[in-house]
Amino acid sequence: MATDTHDAPGGARAETTTETTTDQRDGEDEDAGPYTRWVQRSIREPGRVYRAMFVVVTIFFLVTTLFPLYWLGVLALTEQGKMTDVGLVPNGFNPAVFVEVFETVPFHWYMFNSIVIGLVTTAIVLVFASLAGYVFGRMEFPGRTPLMLVVLAISYFPPVAFLLPLFRLFTGNVALTFPGTDVAITSPMLFNTPGALVLPYSALFMPLSIFILTTFYAQIPDGLERASRVEGTTRLGALYRVIVPLSAPGLATAGVLTFISVYNEFFFGFLMTDGQPDHWAPIVWGIFRFQGQYADLYNYMAAASLIGIVPVAVLVVVAQERIVSGLTAGALKE
Amino acid sequence: MATEQETRRAGVTVRSARWIENLSETQFAYLLLTPMILLMGVVALWPLARTFTMSLRADSLFGAAQLGQFIGFDHYVALLTGEIDAQLTRPFFDPGQPFRSALTVTFIFTVVSVFFETVIGFGQALVLDQDFWGRRWLRVAILLPWAVPIVIQGMIFFLLFQPGVGFLVEPLQSVGLFSSTPTASSVDSMIIVVVADVWKTSAFMALIILAGLQSVDRSLYEVSKVEGASTWQRFKTVTFPLVLPAVLVAMLFRTIAAMRIYGLIETVSSCSTVPSLSCLVVTTFGARQYATAATIAFVTAAIIGILVSVYIVKYADLEGGGF
Repeated sequence: MATDTHDAPGGARAETTTETTTDQRDGEDEDAGPYTRWVQRSIREPGRVYRAMFVVVTIFFLVTTLFPLYWLGVLALTEQGKMTDVGLVPNGFNPAVFVEVFETVPFHWYMFNSIVIGLVTTAIVLVFASLAGYVFGRMEFPGRTPLMLVVLAISYFPPVAFLLPLFRLFTGNVALTFPGTDVAITSPMLFNTPGALVLPYSALFMPLSIFILTTFYAQIPDGLERASRVEGTTRLGALYRVIVPLSAPGLATAGVLTFISVYNEFFFGFLMTDGQPDHWAPIVWGIFRFQGQYADLYNYMAAASLIGIVPVAVLVVVAQERIVSGLTAGALKE
Repeated sequence: MATEQETRRAGVTVRSARWIENLSETQFAYLLLTPMILLMGVVALWPLARTFTMSLRADSLFGAAQLGQFIGFDHYVALLTGEIDAQLTRPFFDPGQPFRSALTVTFIFTVVSVFFETVIGFGQALVLDQDFWGRRWLRVAILLPWAVPIVIQGMIFFLLFQPGVGFLVEPLQSVGLFSSTPTASSVDSMIIVVVADVWKTSAFMALIILAGLQSVDRSLYEVSKVEGASTWQRFKTVTFPLVLPAVLVAMLFRTIAAMRIYGLIETVSSCSTVPSLSCLVVTTFGARQYATAATIAFVTAAIIGILVSVYIVKYADLEGGGF
């Protein structure tokens, strides 16, 4: 199935059409139904079956992936009080729902919080991970492999394994005592601030970016850097003038993936804030407020969900090449 | 004055540049790694170590202290033998009620969802591997669910299967597959959670398998064609074995993520209806049984670790198997 369509040049297709016309002129299948005729022709030419199968399968995937989103739109537009058995078309038409959503719950604040937390995390991850990726991708030093394994191992741990101590750390319950003195530093109260989300996100999503950027930096030819070093540029100068300008595509890939991951995240967003929009609660809480407080306003839940998807949907359309290359590089690196 | 300051600042820059210049390669490498190591140390390694030491202490349900005295591996023993189950909202492992105990729920979810994601992801990858008009847009459509936030993914399927709202419930009920309140029944909720997960994450599978497909040497197809292999034979003898390593890697990543399932359950139904391992940690934590929660968290991590090593051994077998 894998190659039939592109291996078969235009010639094969032309052959099919001529054959079709001959069939019809001969009239040998006149009394057979259209289905039987189709089957007979397919037996003579298996390529047709695969092509038909391909179309069917493609349509199937399109429908299954897009239908839930379409239905969400249908439900959002359905009028209040008519929400029984919402099918393929909305019962009534109520576009005002997309405004009412913001009047019921400050959903825009939750989205704002999510986006800001996403951008700050992405910035931190890019700076730290590009330094680490540069080192792992271009330098040989003792401890390189163990360090990379530690980074990889951290990315395997479930978020719950970090939750309990981090929760205590961010609620000011951890004290660092200097031995021999009475001086103790209590951890800052970060609960309900963006820090309580940005810090764990930065650490937990960093491994993926490190691996993407390690692969990326390893592909930049050595000669460029060496040439600039021979010309007397300092180490940092070579990094800044040669490597950084070349690394834009890699950084874009890592950045897009980090942002989407943060915007997607549920666990810490749900557990590290108390859910108030002025306490930097992310989109998780915005959606939950509809489910909790307005339990029968299903059209509001649907409208809020659709609005919440918009930022990532735009990113997917604009940056799909970056996403694809990042996911495959990050995964196949191992 | 200004110039004096400027020269001093320039002096510092020059001096630090010279200092960096004089570092050995190893020292320079570790200098650049410092920010990453500091952050990961405080926010990832320290919590892991701390979770582990917490799990070795007794629970302290009353009083000001958060943890009791040191009890070694007692919690682990109690958890694995089932003695602790009475103190938990849902048992850790109880083969008698597979949809109500954490370990079985997590395993059922992982196996079923990863299986369907692999099959559907493979199909999507085969379609995306073709050259046709509109391929870019098909890829956007397939990728879109992957980018949808977990809470919204959960909300979509919560609404789709909400009796009276979604049109799917009534037919499923009349067939006898679903009960009257699907989001409150363990089996029904599990089905919904699996469907939601397959919808969202098959795309991830598809992309990695697609990368594997595109690295297959096209001339192998020519050879098999000359040999007279049919399309199905070509798939079975050429495509599939060559793509298998990529499939395994994709399955590994999906298995790790599926074992952590939490948010989707919390949105679609609740942690008491579908008690996954992560759910159990959170509910135990909420009941102030901090040490027990830490134990379950570490056991979860250990189970994931074991699964990862199984995959890695299998992968090494394939690589070493030589083809």
